Amino acid sequence: MSSATGTTDRSIANEIQAEVKERRPFSLKAFLKNRWFLYAVSLTFFFGVWKYVDYTRVLGNGIAAPEKVVVAIFRLMTDTIAGKSLWGHTWASLARIMIGFSIAAGIAVPLGILMALNRYINAVVKPVFDLIKPMPPFAWISCAILWFGIGEPSKIFIIVIGTFVPCLLNSYMGIRLIEPELYDVIRMLGGNRKDEILQVGFPAAFPAIFAGLQISLSIAWTCVLSAELVSARSGLGFIIIQGMQLSQPELVLAGMVILAFWAWATTLLVTYLEKYLCPWKRETSLA
Amino acid sequence: MESKAQPKIICQNISKVFIQKGTQRVHVLEDISVDVKQNEFVVILGPGQSGKSTLLRIIAGLETPTTGTVSLDGKEVAGPGADRGLVFQSYMLFPWKTVLGNVELGPKLRNVAKQERRELAAHYINLVGLKGFEKHYPHQLSGGMKQRVGIARAYANNPEVMLLDEPFGQLDAQTRYFMEKETARIWETERRTVLFVTNNIEEAIYLGDRIISLKGKLPGRMHELYEVHLPRPRDNTDMNFLLLRQQISDASELVL
Repeated sequence: MSSATGTTDRSIANEIQAEVKERRPFSLKAFLKNRWFLYAVSLTFFFGVWKYVDYTRVLGNGIAAPEKVVVAIFRLMTDTIAGKSLWGHTWASLARIMIGFSIAAGIAVPLGILMALNRYINAVVKPVFDLIKPMPPFAWISCAILWFGIGEPSKIFIIVIGTFVPCLLNSYMGIRLIEPELYDVIRMLGGNRKDEILQVGFPAAFPAIFAGLQISLSIAWTCVLSAELVSARSGLGFIIIQGMQLSQPELVLAGMVILAFWAWATTLLVTYLEKYLCPWKRETSLA
Repeated sequence: MESKAQPKIICQNISKVFIQKGTQRVHVLEDISVDVKQNEFVVILGPGQSGKSTLLRIIAGLETPTTGTVSLDGKEVAGPGADRGLVFQSYMLFPWKTVLGNVELGPKLRNVAKQERRELAAHYINLVGLKGFEKHYPHQLSGGMKQRVGIARAYANNPEVMLLDEPFGQLDAQTRYFMEKETARIWETERRTVLFVTNNIEEAIYLGDRIISLKGKLPGRMHELYEVHLPRPRDNTDMNFLLLRQQISDASELVL
């Protein structure tokens, strides 16, 4: 019997399944196919291309070699720029984000929930919100500077505008998308409208609210960066713009790396907060 | 089985018309009159689209009938309330609460003291056979287990009447048989007045004292009434059981 049936190439389903740890004796072939080895190869390639682009000066003075960026990061940690240390600049950006984010979320989340539950509030707020919604937050920068000057308030204003929209939208949808039968459950257990809102509305909307917070946080970092690029004397965006003005690409890239690190760290914080407050969510790994 | 002079639930001439999309009228129920005695297990049997779930929701108070009245212990049913416990077809457990949290929710809404409601919840969780799973979240449970939590949750609120809306419709055949046995056992342990909706003739005969069958095709009308006098616990393969099953299946458009 030499004829066989069925396809023999590997199915995608097999590849997506978690890899089973099986101890097999070392073989070169297996090593070359190993996931972590391939990751290392990819990263080495990436850094290699980066170094090569710098070496050949293809982008002129626009790029700095990876090792120069590392040196720049270390220098930032010890020296000061415009009178502030690295931590001072980091804190300046973080403070703006925290203040703007808190103000925006503090208003948007309750407002979104109220809009979803009360048709009169919805009728009043929705048209104005729909007018503001499509506008990219950075378009407000000129208004912000005209109204608040070039100090802190204008930057916080941009962050508030940018953070407000996704927070409100997600809170609103979080309540609207609740399975209506869940309200029936609470009614059959003897609950009234207050119980509907507190026992069903809030907890059911939590995951959506947190999704909104995550999105808003990313937007907040974008906003703080663009506000600092325009007019700032401190902050991580300021470091980047300094690097550009002083023709020091390693400073630009160093600023970008540090910015990316803090954006990731704050996102992780929100993720852990969500895990703590919403233990019922299924584990899905997107990291 | 004691029969009280006044039936527990009286439905008189219930009919229901839904208005959809502004002008379309969907006539779901027509002239239904049902009496349920104290501690009786009544099954409403009908094919899909016969309005049986709507009838149950009307008795639960979640819908208002277009004509007719529903009364419980002589008082007219005006809206949903804790005196009727409803078990839903799609479980409807709160995913953010543990099993214990779900079951003790009813007593919690009535401001029962913590210790007391914990004991109450533990008693009913034990009754449905889920001892040891108090701290689990619904997404960690199988379908049969979720439905048992739903039953415990309805029981824990100490309702006068238990209403079950095709509770085992989403379970596989084996689990369904198991749950039927469990339901019979639970009901024997703690008797209540039960109104059970299903489209499964075997389930109806296994569980019910009385079966009310509805005709298919909207609007749902009352078709036949059957009294089941077989001894409990019922045997699916008993000759009388099978004869009754044949009789019902021949009389209605349900297959078997």
